[in-house]
Amino acid sequence: MVKKLLTVLLLLGSLLCKAQNKEGFALFTDRDLYTSGETLLIKVYAPVDEPSGIVNVDLFNSKGNLVSAVYLEMKNHQANGFIHLADSLSSGSYLVRTTTRTSLTQTVKELFVSNRFTGMTESTVFKRPEVNGPQVETTFTALQIEGTSGVYKNREKGHATVHLPLEFLSQIDGNLLVGITPVTPEYHAMNLVAATKPKFYRETSNEGIIISGTITDADTEKPFENGLVYLTIPDSLPEFKYYTTGVNGRFYFQITNRYGKIPVVLQCSDKEKKRLLKISLTPADNIFSSLPPGESHAFSPEFRKIVAKKVESLNFCKIFGLNELAMQPFPPHKQDDRLFYGIPNRVVRPKQFIDLPNFEEISRELLPQVKFRTYNRNPSLQLFNFQRNRYFNDQPLVLLNGIPVTYLNVIKEMGTTQIDRIDICQSERYFGDLGFSGVVAIYSTNGDYTRLNESDELIKLSLEAIQPDAELTAPPEHASKMPDLRQVLLWKPSLKPEKTLELNFQTSDIKGNYRIFLSGKSVNGSIFYKEQLFEVK
Amino acid sequence: MEKRMLFVFILLNLLLALVLPAQEVLPKNWNGEKIKGVRFVPYATYQGNPFFNDSFVPGKIELTDGTIIGALQLKYSSYQDELIYYNSDISTQIVIDKMSLRGFSLADENGVQHRFKLQYISHSLPEYRFFELLSDGDISLWVYRKVLLLTSPIYGEAGKEKNLSYQEAYNYYLYNKEKGYELIRISKGSLLSKCDPSNQKLARKILRRNKVNIRDEKSFVKAWSLVKENGVNLSF
Repeated sequence: MVKKLLTVLLLLGSLLCKAQNKEGFALFTDRDLYTSGETLLIKVYAPVDEPSGIVNVDLFNSKGNLVSAVYLEMKNHQANGFIHLADSLSSGSYLVRTTTRTSLTQTVKELFVSNRFTGMTESTVFKRPEVNGPQVETTFTALQIEGTSGVYKNREKGHATVHLPLEFLSQIDGNLLVGITPVTPEYHAMNLVAATKPKFYRETSNEGIIISGTITDADTEKPFENGLVYLTIPDSLPEFKYYTTGVNGRFYFQITNRYGKIPVVLQCSDKEKKRLLKISLTPADNIFSSLPPGESHAFSPEFRKIVAKKVESLNFCKIFGLNELAMQPFPPHKQDDRLFYGIPNRVVRPKQFIDLPNFEEISRELLPQVKFRTYNRNPSLQLFNFQRNRYFNDQPLVLLNGIPVTYLNVIKEMGTTQIDRIDICQSERYFGDLGFSGVVAIYSTNGDYTRLNESDELIKLSLEAIQPDAELTAPPEHASKMPDLRQVLLWKPSLKPEKTLELNFQTSDIKGNYRIFLSGKSVNGSIFYKEQLFEVK
Repeated sequence: MEKRMLFVFILLNLLLALVLPAQEVLPKNWNGEKIKGVRFVPYATYQGNPFFNDSFVPGKIELTDGTIIGALQLKYSSYQDELIYYNSDISTQIVIDKMSLRGFSLADENGVQHRFKLQYISHSLPEYRFFELLSDGDISLWVYRKVLLLTSPIYGEAGKEKNLSYQEAYNYYLYNKEKGYELIRISKGSLLSKCDPSNQKLARKILRRNKVNIRDEKSFVKAWSLVKENGVNLSF
């Protein structure tokens, strides 16, 4: 009996150990050295068994604080993206981390960013976490990059040919990354594949961004059970979701098919309306908990000179308003094209009528069977029930641009000029398990919902949803009088593999060392990489 | 021996406790689709039955985005052409928003599956209706299970002496992509009229051999299927 149990135990142990040693992500960035205000280009190769369709790329500063986070859509276990490095980033080491919400590993890459206003700080010493264990990559000797010369002049047109042997071509999984980017021999970024704690079980493999958090009792600060959490993406066709918390007070929402920056409003309330609640989002995890400790490094005067030159060239770019990236239009948002509260019985556009100063006047003059009254400064709203031929006893669901409004004072002062449209549903509506005694949905002019203030029970977010595609802008004409201050000469993160790849490029006005490189993933999961150096004089 | 087993059990639990807290377990159906609708208000009681199925029966619905929600207690109202579901969590009968549905299926009291689809019909009164699919194919056979509230003799069942009653007024349609819908009567003549003139004899023979006497919907569907199976070209 004991033997059997021990066998089960050992089997379980081996399974768990195996799970912790899973293959990591491969993370490539265009450079190792950046200036604040620039754009960091990213290519991620995910493990083949990665179930999630979204990859998280986070940028942490040397103190472990999350600076920026993007969600990239994976296609064939590959993702491309970018992170805009804010002008305000201070000089120092930064960590780019790649994970998914279910992954057991994280790939971390260290970069150096210098502030474009202050340059390198007075001290020559920076903290840099020691990272050991190179990114999984193998140099494939059969790969050849031909046709390049070792030295180019500024604004010279160049050409390179990459030959992919036939037997190798069949071993490539997905697309290739090809780039021509500057290299700084004085500084080499380090990669690390480390174990991480997955946020959710791997079964949660749906594609989308998960927003999670906790509802607590505002007085006791204990997790609150049976709290109602609403998520709204305000719009003329708002997206609305709700969640009822369990014993641990946790809530989860999944946002799918949303690209770029989107507004999100989260709010909570007690179902029985007895307790005041507090909503808080799950904080970012501490990246240093899974990394080795940092170490001090001194930078040479040459390195400082290189940084100063890069800062200077970027400042020129900013003066001339040169953008590195051209954004692609967002894919059309696929969602239920019907309002979550159904087809309204009545739609009123107050602007088609005489100007009225507040909502009470609007309800009296334009909204029959909608009683908005103020007694002792307390507004109340009642709606006539079409189905029962009497007024509802309870207050209807009041929405402002799709966001549930708890306190009617928010809409009290809204007059004709502030309201674009009012939808009224005069029946007992249901959305899942939620029942509403009718719905009064107000849509403000210009989609403004600033009347709703943030509080313990309401959070407004500006969420960076799935990042849309972007590509490098074309270089200026050879004879153009505009300065060409491109750092990255070529970046093709999704190049279809072919027997021969022809790469055309043009050097910029920046002198220095560059590399032509190619990377990809083979069907067995290993990453291959080939590079060739040249100089622009 | 028992001590050893206890030790192993505790060790196993400790090992699991070390691994599990890192990962959150999401509740079942945490991100499930929400059904939209309004509260069902019971109809006035008259003779006859306004519903296709008297009691709630298990079924599933298909939303417009293709999501299928199963294990629902459904009831189809032929009178109002609306689908009602019973939400046991809140003990409420809810009429599902018609326009949020692509279709639904339910098993009747005898266990027979019925597949309904929301179809747009542009006849005298263009509208979306739930049609039941009786036979699929290039030319499909559908039924609109309409129940009308009509005047009737005053004297009826005890306690229901009212001059109105719910009466079945089913309409049968043939459909193909090019021509849309066309009404069809449940009779041998109408079936034969949809066969090629050269095949009408063969169709009669098939029906006679299989002893199919078209009297009602069931026999008509059987005859329709037999004719199709035997390669008789149908058109309208």
